[in-house]
Amino acid sequence: MSRAERAAVGTLGVVLAAVFVAAANVSAPSAAQDPKRPDWDGNRTTPAHLIPLRDENDELIVPTETGPLPYSARFTCGPCHDYERVRGGWHFAAMTAVKSVRAGEPWLQVHPKTGTVLPLSGRGWPGTYDPKAVGLTAWDFTLLFGRHMAGGGPAEPSDEEVLAHPEARWNVSGKAEVNCLACHNRSGRQDHGEWAKQVLRENLRWAATAAGGVGEVGGMASRLKGTWDVYDGPNLDDHEWAVVPFVKYRTADFDSKHRYFFDLDHKPADDRCLACHSVSPKDEDQWNADADVHSTAGLKCADCHRNDLGHGMVRGYEGEAAETGNRTAASFTCRGCHLGENASGKKTVLPGRLGAPRPKHSGIPLAHFKRLSCPVCHSGPMPREGFTRVRTSRANRLAIYGVATWSTDAPAVIEPVYKKDERRRIGPHRLVWPAFWAKRTGGEIVPILPAIVEAAAGDILKPEAKIAQTLIALDQVLAEDEIPVLVSGKSVFAPNVDGGIDAAESPGAKADGQVFWGVRKGADILPLVPDFDPAAADKDPAVETRFQEFLQALGTVDGAPGPPVIVVRKTLYRLVDGVLETSEAHGEWAGAAGPGWLAAGKLLPLAPEFDLRTVAAKAGAEQTLTEEQVALVLGALAKTSKDAEFVYISGGRLFRLDERGKLAAKKDPAAGPVTWPLAHDVRPAQQSLGRNGCTDCHSAGSGFFFAQLKASGPLLTNRLEKRSASSFMGLGGLFQHVFGLSFIARPVFKVALAVCALVIGALVFLAGLVALGRLAGFFEKR
Amino acid sequence: MLFTIISVLALAGTFLGLSLHRFWTTREEARSNIIYAEVFKKYLAWLSLRTIKMSRKASPRAWWEHLKALPLWRLPDLEKWLYVVFYGSFLYLAASGFFFAVFIPRGLFGYPLIGHVTAGGLFAGCLTLIVVFKGRNFISVPKPASLSLALLDPRKMGITAARVKIAAFWLFAAAGFLLTLSALLPMMPLLRTAGQNLMFEFHRYSALLAVMAAMVFVGLELFESGQRLS
Repeated sequence: MSRAERAAVGTLGVVLAAVFVAAANVSAPSAAQDPKRPDWDGNRTTPAHLIPLRDENDELIVPTETGPLPYSARFTCGPCHDYERVRGGWHFAAMTAVKSVRAGEPWLQVHPKTGTVLPLSGRGWPGTYDPKAVGLTAWDFTLLFGRHMAGGGPAEPSDEEVLAHPEARWNVSGKAEVNCLACHNRSGRQDHGEWAKQVLRENLRWAATAAGGVGEVGGMASRLKGTWDVYDGPNLDDHEWAVVPFVKYRTADFDSKHRYFFDLDHKPADDRCLACHSVSPKDEDQWNADADVHSTAGLKCADCHRNDLGHGMVRGYEGEAAETGNRTAASFTCRGCHLGENASGKKTVLPGRLGAPRPKHSGIPLAHFKRLSCPVCHSGPMPREGFTRVRTSRANRLAIYGVATWSTDAPAVIEPVYKKDERRRIGPHRLVWPAFWAKRTGGEIVPILPAIVEAAAGDILKPEAKIAQTLIALDQVLAEDEIPVLVSGKSVFAPNVDGGIDAAESPGAKADGQVFWGVRKGADILPLVPDFDPAAADKDPAVETRFQEFLQALGTVDGAPGPPVIVVRKTLYRLVDGVLETSEAHGEWAGAAGPGWLAAGKLLPLAPEFDLRTVAAKAGAEQTLTEEQVALVLGALAKTSKDAEFVYISGGRLFRLDERGKLAAKKDPAAGPVTWPLAHDVRPAQQSLGRNGCTDCHSAGSGFFFAQLKASGPLLTNRLEKRSASSFMGLGGLFQHVFGLSFIARPVFKVALAVCALVIGALVFLAGLVALGRLAGFFEKR
Repeated sequence: MLFTIISVLALAGTFLGLSLHRFWTTREEARSNIIYAEVFKKYLAWLSLRTIKMSRKASPRAWWEHLKALPLWRLPDLEKWLYVVFYGSFLYLAASGFFFAVFIPRGLFGYPLIGHVTAGGLFAGCLTLIVVFKGRNFISVPKPASLSLALLDPRKMGITAARVKIAAFWLFAAAGFLLTLSALLPMMPLLRTAGQNLMFEFHRYSALLAVMAAMVFVGLELFESGQRLS
């Protein structure tokens, strides 16, 4: 080939390459890169999603290859759905979203040991604290709340954030990208609990694959060294404990071209929403719980709470349209849908979307529509019996199932609390009382994270630990049908499988009964150390054998102040070189029969008095702290810093140490309840408040106005805030009493008015007739 | 806002009408000129002067003396207390109703509302008794009308102060009836929101009508009694 020919071929090649590139760009543009491409072509079906899976390096996943990475939503879904736009949605911006006027449920950091219920929100809602301001990094936040997050946001931090916090383990865990399947997966394999477990195992980059049922994920990133990287591959030295996370794809769902079939819903099913947004009465049976009336009617959550690709869901509150600029939002408020009214009450909205019926509201005075929001009468539990304690998915860790019980009773979320919202209208709210340790400098309260409190408090917050250790040690030498217990007053403490202790009530015991270590066999509880005469010739030889076992077991307790001993009358039993020896007990110990520790020539009880007192006080109670503990911890915290005052907040009160070192309580704005509006579950019209007449609310004993709310918190105390329902509304209780009483006479009043109207009307009509008759000449004279 | 404007205009018009009637029937200068503009100027001058004079005379003591001099106190006990309750309840209803309607965006609420409802009941009861027992004194008996163009001439309609007063009485009674009805119906499980709205507006405008009728009645009554005394 000549040089000219070669040049011609080369030129042709360049031209052809350019044409191919241009053609490729014209014929198959990337949807994500083409801003003009509409999100929807007009077809109302959901396209079948048989698509290639791509990993976080944008590499095609071949499920049969060795050690495939988990799929990445950014590169699997991103080519058609603009990932960055999705990422800006409400669900993915927990720490970064702009402030929204209407408060939502805050993230509640619950830490029972330190008595912490700390409301957190990056959206500046009243009563909440910015996670960053209290020292939580994106990593901390993800580990705390990632269980109920849909990926993205703090779980997918920027590179700057990762570099700023080298102590975080992002390089091990990877980032949890937006989990599209969390909402859009129609498959029954979608498992919210699996997501939560993967997050807790720090398997962040694997979590979506595991939860979506795309593949089976094993291993735990949390057990790996901080230096491990996903490219390091499996840990060849450890196949039992520090197993590197791996994924086995469900190959049956792939076709021959390695495309995976996603069974997706454009509008997520309610189950997907409810995994994180369920709210149910605490002690309600599942079979007795009713769904929202809209759901019962066949609507999906997403029918009203809809969104575009930006995932800024319509929240459905009045004023949202003006606040967000999304005019469609006005159609999806109660008023918009059912009455065709905008937030100002003007009929500017087309009513009846989704077949919403128009309410009659017969006989309801107009003031109710001006001063109350629709959910007051239609949503949440009925207020007749006062307040209802509920559990929410995010606060109480619901929807995570497994061998362990994940859900918690704490924090206590209360509803319905009727209070004025940002539009000065009364609406039902959920409420939680905050509880946390804080540093007060000037007037500013800055919460302290539980880890810092624990470090300062030492053993003060662990009264159960030593008792549990002792009981677990004793359990090792008891028969299978015997359980070591500690009996204190009416309570019996026994070890549990988690290494702690459970309290139960001792039938027939007295509250001021003696404290003793015992053994439960069936229903009987016998003292661990029976009373007998060690000097007696006919004593049971098995007793001393048992003592030896007990002492050997107690010898395994970590951190014991000295060797274990048993005192019976005037005899001291102890192990010397593994052999049981007896000696005469010190005269002072004669009354203190039982097991103990011998330290510095003194007989110490198996568990300190403080521990016994504390666990006995808390037995059977939901609270996790006593006033004594709080005082001690405040003292311990005070030693860590001299330039600030330390306080504890619980039950609507702020606790601090006064000048004499005593625990003092007072009201403080920081101790006030945190509330957020509720709108669901909507009850049927026949169960609306007011259905039975005005006296549903307007009566002297009305729960709506006069139910008393006693604050709750982790601190066992009588110093609690108490408020009436009307105080939340900003209404005078006396007036509502007087107004409620007026309804006793109202039926008579109505009859009297009707008689008056009838008589006056008849006479006016008659006078008119007379005048008309005379004018027409019908009557000549009166 | 619309109600406020209509109320101010209606009440001011009623007041000016009553004062014009007084000017027209008592002042020489009202007939001294046939040009209405000139008469109107004189009326304004008279009204201004009279307002200044009255405001100079006005004092709590003067008002108290005026109140004590009312013929009401010379009535039999039963009748006296009927009127006291009637006037008292009406004054409170008008004052509370219009004050909150005009000046408080939220409208009537709280204890004033309880007072308003209570006073409303008393007012309705008293009005019923007054219409039953005193209504016969206000039966107007106009002569039969003949079909002619004279029906359109106000000067030949036979409009007198006495007849206007009678008409004001019945207008007041009719407004009282509408007020009672529009207070009662919203309390029954009959009306939907639109009906409630209608009754609310009905109640307000009935109240305005009642106040105007009361002004006319009382204005003419006071004028007549003043003339009798002079």
